Amino acid sequence: MIDWTSWMDYGFMKMALAAILIITPLFGLMGTMIVNKKMAYFSDALGHSALTGIAVGVVCGIPDTNISMVIFAVVFALLLNKIGSRSTVSTDTIISVFSSCSVAIGLAILSKGGNFSKYSSLLVGDVLSITKKEIGYLVIIFIVTILFWITCFNWLNAICIHRALAKSKRIPVQLMDYVFAVLVALIVMLSIKWVGILIINALLILPAASSRNLSVNMREYHVFSIIFSVFSGVMGLILSYYTNVATGPMIVIIASVIYFVTYFFGRKWKE
Amino acid sequence: MKKKYLYTAIMLFAILVAGMGLTGWYVSQTQEQTDGQELTVVTSFYPMYIAAENVIGDADGVRLENLSEPQTGCLHDFQLTPEDMKLLSTADVFIINGGGIESFMKEVAEAYPNLKIIEACENISLLSGEEDDTHHHEGETEEEHAHGDVNAHAWMSVSAYETQVQTIADGLSGADPERSSAYQNGAKAYLEKLDGLRKRQEKLKQEISGQSVILFHEAYAYVAEDYGLQVNYLLDLDEERQVSAGEVSDVLSAVRKGHVKYILAEELYGKSMGDTIRKESDAKVLYLDPLNRGTYEKDSYINGMKKNMEILEEAFYAKDH
Repeated sequence: MIDWTSWMDYGFMKMALAAILIITPLFGLMGTMIVNKKMAYFSDALGHSALTGIAVGVVCGIPDTNISMVIFAVVFALLLNKIGSRSTVSTDTIISVFSSCSVAIGLAILSKGGNFSKYSSLLVGDVLSITKKEIGYLVIIFIVTILFWITCFNWLNAICIHRALAKSKRIPVQLMDYVFAVLVALIVMLSIKWVGILIINALLILPAASSRNLSVNMREYHVFSIIFSVFSGVMGLILSYYTNVATGPMIVIIASVIYFVTYFFGRKWKE
Repeated sequence: MKKKYLYTAIMLFAILVAGMGLTGWYVSQTQEQTDGQELTVVTSFYPMYIAAENVIGDADGVRLENLSEPQTGCLHDFQLTPEDMKLLSTADVFIINGGGIESFMKEVAEAYPNLKIIEACENISLLSGEEDDTHHHEGETEEEHAHGDVNAHAWMSVSAYETQVQTIADGLSGADPERSSAYQNGAKAYLEKLDGLRKRQEKLKQEISGQSVILFHEAYAYVAEDYGLQVNYLLDLDEERQVSAGEVSDVLSAVRKGHVKYILAEELYGKSMGDTIRKESDAKVLYLDPLNRGTYEKDSYINGMKKNMEILEEAFYAKDH
């Protein structure tokens, strides 16, 4: 029989667990609003922009790529919002343009001299890359997000339901959009190194989507989403440790299983 | 209403049980016996494993393990997996190639300060990484290049490999004096076999030394040196390496200018480039095995080297006769 506690002997696993316990509730929380606002594609594009962020950091010689990634993602998110709200073409076209453009720039810079393999761990994530400093960043973003949620959730929800009506109620619609986009950018960037670019979006979307299959009101929607997110995060981490696979994909597989079960049975359970 | 919560809890519990059950089953299938072993030796990748395997030979109470290296090439940019960290935490001796190939060594040395590390390359003067002026790497500084500024693929040269084997044997004897004679005997037997290989190489060298070649893998610089071949151009094709059109034309002009007849490439990553070159010029592309992965048999290094020699012999003799 295997020893289900042996993973706790390792410093990097404790670090990873701490990171997951901090970040997965945020994924669940932000996911609800991303799904409501139909921004799934937006957060996906943000994830892809991490490549460019790192590339910019490498070019500018910034030693801590976290910083360049975060700065770039925030700029990217703001720009995307700005152009998206002005342009006459639909948002998904704009996002697609931005996303592929930034991926191309990132790939071009990082692949120069055949160096891309050095960064390929970014694509699937590397749980060993979590450091104490990053946990510090995560704690800060956790506090900021919770505060934002407590104070601004009603506004966000109102904007989601009816934009024009919210505006007439003097809700700062534009500002809320920007702040939300920046927060998503920060969360995505700070967890991308261990989750991986290819699947980070799944972590934002799946718990909320599963929760939508079940819930009938906002409170349930949030609670289920957070539970699913934390559950798949912790379980994915531990299973990935024993099966020796990358952690990000394992988490996403579990989150997907939850999604499909709720998809097929959710309607029956609601009755 | 309440039923929904119950069902959700049941679902999560079922997933938990199923996941743990499957994992438990999987782990019990793959778990190895580790009791009764006194010394655990871990090697960083394939050529080191084969060398250590031969040195250790039948010595009792030694467990030899390899890191879960990537199956795709050299371990240039390999990241340690949690499994590797677990393995290293049980290790007494860690045998690495050195020369900067193990880019993760800093992490390992920090995490396990008591681990005895044997660097197989320490007694070898490595070739420099910038083998040729035409080798394009302007966009990066030396430290950024995965190998640092040396070419660490020393195992591709039989004589350097012999030095590595001896270094490993000496290192193991130092770490584990009790089995010292077993290690030295193992090394001696293996070195004898390698000497046979080297004699055959010497013979071939007399025939082909001085020929111009182009290399598609940094590792073959050692092959070229062993045979006294003249390297006109080196293009380090590797996993996920994107070749630009400019490089293709550089290679082609080097082929024409230097009247190069032979190109040494690795099948896995050099194939598409090799096909292009063959179509565009009359140079012959020889696919050698860089011996950075393969089966874990004791003789697989020697067999791989023999196969490489046969390819070279066939190509160069065919032209002469």
